[in-house]
Amino acid sequence: MLSDAKTRSIIIQCAPVALAAAFAALLVSTTFANLRARGIPIGFDFLTMPSRIVISEAILTYKSRDPYYWAIVTGLANTVFISAVVIVFSSVLGLVVGVTRLSSNPLAAGTCRVWVEVARNSPPIVLLIFLYSLWWKVLPPVGEALNPLPGVYASMRGFVVPAVSMDVATAGLLVIALALALAAAGWAAARRGWMPPLAAPAILAVGVAGLWLADAKFSVDWPTFTGSNFKGGKELTPELSTILIGLTIYTTGFVAEIVRGGVLSVGRGQWDAGHSLGLPRGKILRVIIIPQMLRVIVPPLNSQYINVVKNSTLAIAVGYPDFLAVMNTIISKSSHSIEGVFIILGVYLALNLSLSSAANWYNRRIAIVER
Amino acid sequence: MKALSLPLPAEPMPGQIRFGALRRSARLLFGTPLNAVLTLLFGVLLVATVPPMLRWLVIDAVLFDPSPRACRVATGACWSFIYAKSGQLLFGIYPLDERWRPAIVCMLILALLAWSVRPASWAPRLAALWVAALVLIFWLMAGGFGLTEVPTSSWGGLPVTLILTVVAIGVAFPVGILLALARRSTMPAIRIGAVVLIESVRGLPLLSILFVASIMMPLFLPEALLPDKFVRALVALTIFAAAYLAEVIRGGLQAIPNGQYEAAAALGLPFWRTQYLVILPQAIRVAIPALANTIIVMIKNTSLVLVVGLFDLISSGKAVLADPDWPSPAAETFLFIGAIFFALSFSFARFADFLERRGPTAH
Repeated sequence: MLSDAKTRSIIIQCAPVALAAAFAALLVSTTFANLRARGIPIGFDFLTMPSRIVISEAILTYKSRDPYYWAIVTGLANTVFISAVVIVFSSVLGLVVGVTRLSSNPLAAGTCRVWVEVARNSPPIVLLIFLYSLWWKVLPPVGEALNPLPGVYASMRGFVVPAVSMDVATAGLLVIALALALAAAGWAAARRGWMPPLAAPAILAVGVAGLWLADAKFSVDWPTFTGSNFKGGKELTPELSTILIGLTIYTTGFVAEIVRGGVLSVGRGQWDAGHSLGLPRGKILRVIIIPQMLRVIVPPLNSQYINVVKNSTLAIAVGYPDFLAVMNTIISKSSHSIEGVFIILGVYLALNLSLSSAANWYNRRIAIVER
Repeated sequence: MKALSLPLPAEPMPGQIRFGALRRSARLLFGTPLNAVLTLLFGVLLVATVPPMLRWLVIDAVLFDPSPRACRVATGACWSFIYAKSGQLLFGIYPLDERWRPAIVCMLILALLAWSVRPASWAPRLAALWVAALVLIFWLMAGGFGLTEVPTSSWGGLPVTLILTVVAIGVAFPVGILLALARRSTMPAIRIGAVVLIESVRGLPLLSILFVASIMMPLFLPEALLPDKFVRALVALTIFAAAYLAEVIRGGLQAIPNGQYEAAAALGLPFWRTQYLVILPQAIRVAIPALANTIIVMIKNTSLVLVVGLFDLISSGKAVLADPDWPSPAAETFLFIGAIFFALSFSFARFADFLERRGPTAH
């Protein structure tokens, strides 16, 4: 009987399945026994109860009277905010640094190389703790706050930047305009010609102009210095600033290497071929070089973006309440550890899987179609 | 894009080296308008940042004066603090009289690493050497058999970082090979199990896995089966590393042409002997550069155990800074710790570059 491949395969498969089932049974029974022994009820009912935990800073409005689910949403919003800001800034900086590393200018290329090597070879958590320890050493007290750009102040207490405030309807319309612009950009990517590339900015411009004409509740709040304190504006605490700056420095190093690899992957012959067809430089770049670069760049860039979401958990090292830190507080406060673990696992898996499936969809669109 | 397509400067003739070199660097710095702008931009940036940094790092720094008072008055870095505290910084709360043991462990691990990266020493007996070394390391660290016993809760500093890295990667490697093979298996139960395990571990931040392992595990497992905190963190790191290594090895397996399997089948080799003798040696060789990169990521990831309260290099740095006699030079301490991590992973990265240039086919 054992010599029959099919039977043998079934027996071989049964062993690990049985082992896993036994292990899972052990886990579940112990967990329930432990929970019963400590008198902890299981269930998600606690989510609607007032949390009474403190979240030191948040993008959304949160008070400790709010229920647990709102605390979770607040933590998640902080994580999404950090990830989004870091992804945008490190993409732009990574593009610049990666291309500059290829420059024939030794001064520029060397400086960018130092950046890349430091970022790639130091643990992000050490980078964050180091930057955080620099904060009180480098920056002046509030009274002598640096003012590098109009409306931007930097001091020991963090950054103060102009705040943009709008009502819900305006924000909704702006989001719709952005979504339309993104859709137009996707449509433009599928077509060639002079019109499509203009579609996205045009829609966005019309949207913004429409809001302006409709006299939407949209105002910029410039911070002013009142001698001992700031009035108005949005304050970025040292914790938030450290995590944004540190993760951006770190991620830029990786994005720069990906961009450099992408540029190098397109041979110089492609430029020559474009020139010999009589195409202008901009057009060669747009229709020959960049499409080929994207194919090399997008898959590793995707995993880098997922890494940003994962690295945002390091906020805990400088005391910024991201999703994981908030969940940790909730678990220790409410003792609903099982539910907490499930929420943590579920949220991160959902975030990362949706990011990677979006990137995979984009990757399929730009991949070479082979006959 | 203009700077990119600048032709490489011609080699100077032997007689005109000095003049040629001067002219060449002038052309590289100011040859085109873009280059001139870049030179000015980065020149201003460097002039503005490098001298103050140098002044803080070296010129105004306290280098040798061992008294805390010198650090209080100095405006530069306080390196004498690092020097005075180096024992505690590197070995944490390990008993003072026994510090020679973690010192030997660190040197042993580093020497073994340096030995193992030589392509000439890649052979099955290298694994045996590592197993023997690990037994020796655990004996030295934990004690017993003639040495004073030291519980894992007093282990600290660099040896913890190194042991976690080396053991996690060492155990994860065979597990990763098994997972990679399972994911390519034709048996659905095994394949699906491997896919679920690999993808969910890769979809989660390491910190969340560490949290579950260190804080939740006491709830999930019966008292008798519960390992101590050090081992729990080690298990979490190993599972994490195994999932990533499995994907890298799977990439290597995919590069092996079908003919190799067919040739092995024609010779009548059974499954495991096919894998061990024919497929895996080639697949792993293809995957070596990617493996080296994963190992660098793991070296850096080990630093996260600080968050679950293990006494690694960063936590011992934090503990050292609590000494009230000194002015708490945090930036210097973390710079020093960062430099240790940088040295480890930078040298490994250079080694990975070397392997990549060497190519997968060379023996």
